[in-house]
Amino acid sequence: MIEHDLLERCRAGNRDAQRELYDQTSAPIYRLLLKMTASPDDAFDLAQETYLKAFTQLGRFDGRSSLATWLYRVAVNEALQFLRRAKQTRVKLQELAAEDCAASENGRTTARLDVNNALAMLPPNDRAMLLLRYQEGLNYRSIAATIGCAEGTVASRLNRARERLRNLLQNSYEWEGSDSPMHPKDRC
Amino acid sequence: MNCEQAQENLGPYVDGELAPDACTALEVHLEDCDTCRAELATVRKLASDLAPQVDTLVPENLWTAIEQRLDEAGEATPPTARRPRWRVGRAPYALAAAVVFAVGLSLVGLVWTGSSAHASTVDFSVLLNGLPLDANQAFGKFLALYDAREGSLADARQYAPDLSFDIPDLLPGGFHLQAIYLLRFGKLEGVAAAYDRDGEFLGAVFHRPVAKEHFGQHKDYPCVVGKHDGHKVSVGAWRLVHLTDPTTCHCVLSRLDERTELPDVMAAVAPALPEGTGRHGH
Ligand SMILES: [Zn+2]
Repeated sequence: MIEHDLLERCRAGNRDAQRELYDQTSAPIYRLLLKMTASPDDAFDLAQETYLKAFTQLGRFDGRSSLATWLYRVAVNEALQFLRRAKQTRVKLQELAAEDCAASENGRTTARLDVNNALAMLPPNDRAMLLLRYQEGLNYRSIAATIGCAEGTVASRLNRARERLRNLLQNSYEWEGSDSPMHPKDRC
Repeated sequence: MNCEQAQENLGPYVDGELAPDACTALEVHLEDCDTCRAELATVRKLASDLAPQVDTLVPENLWTAIEQRLDEAGEATPPTARRPRWRVGRAPYALAAAVVFAVGLSLVGLVWTGSSAHASTVDFSVLLNGLPLDANQAFGKFLALYDAREGSLADARQYAPDLSFDIPDLLPGGFHLQAIYLLRFGKLEGVAAAYDRDGEFLGAVFHRPVAKEHFGQHKDYPCVVGKHDGHKVSVGAWRLVHLTDPTTCHCVLSRLDERTELPDVMAAVAPALPEGTGRHGH
């Protein structure tokens, strides 16, 4: 629970209070942005945007969700917008994953698509759902408030995201065992 | 329930978001269905693979960059006369949170000297509300609320002789003891302990069963841990599970599964639980 008094002081633009709010929340916010973008530089930039936006828009925070949820929402919106603008991360990560896959030992190709690589290859919305739930530990109600969807759709959205992630991982695992991958790029 | 319905419910089940009757129906199905049990294991594995493995370090210059841009934008008032950032007494939550954040849980009890004389109730809502953001920090706030001070196991036993509990240095599953706290719930003594397993937090709270528990907006459901009936509140992957014996309610906050890892942990901290009570605590 972030203290009411702290919020008021942040709203009034008090720098000490802003620093205090940042200290209390920056670890999970940065961690989320890092996994969303898979890039420390991008996460750094987006974290700046998140807090600047949070400090200027704090007046609009209505207290219906927790402040933590509201901050997650600002961060997720920043990340999704960024990823839409520049689809670079997805492409970059797909290349990375493909490189991993292409590493070969004794003429036998091994796939090492770990859960982070697979996560980065998911559509950003799916990625956000999974991170909010399993990395940040948000309950369905908070996820709904963060993503801006109906609470009743969270379970099915998560099911779909989980399924897609599993397909990515499974393909790479299967491939690890097979002797002659036909289309490495397709599999990864 | 057929397999398709069962599998749709596995995610919410693992996430602690499935209604109790749906849980029961699913568990009945799982008893007899190898396929869905295997599926459940996969969902659990995925969930634990996605959980944060190591603490992410926030770049040190991030705040500097933000502050610079705040200055440029002229948004903030100039830094005020440097009043101490964390003041004892006035803002207990901020104090506790800040201390936990800065130097870890172990100092909370030493610096927090405010008073919050609550009647003999144990209000977990501050803890539960803080879980999604940072469990360690939320636990610190809870401790601060009840005037926690740090002590040894011997101190705790002497301080709360009526409570039955154990606080081993190492819990089953590899959780290492970080600190022991002596608390006060109104007129009643309480004891708490913080554990860590490679950055994964686990907290235990022991109090007299007569103290009334509050959970804020969170729902408290009956549950079974090992051979014991208890009750639990789930928040995301976190669960606060309570098992009660005649003298003590043992509350453990963790991400551990009630069927696999949690029973051993509960047995370790609650050595006097009668076998197979079949009775519901509190
Ligand atoms: Zn089945």
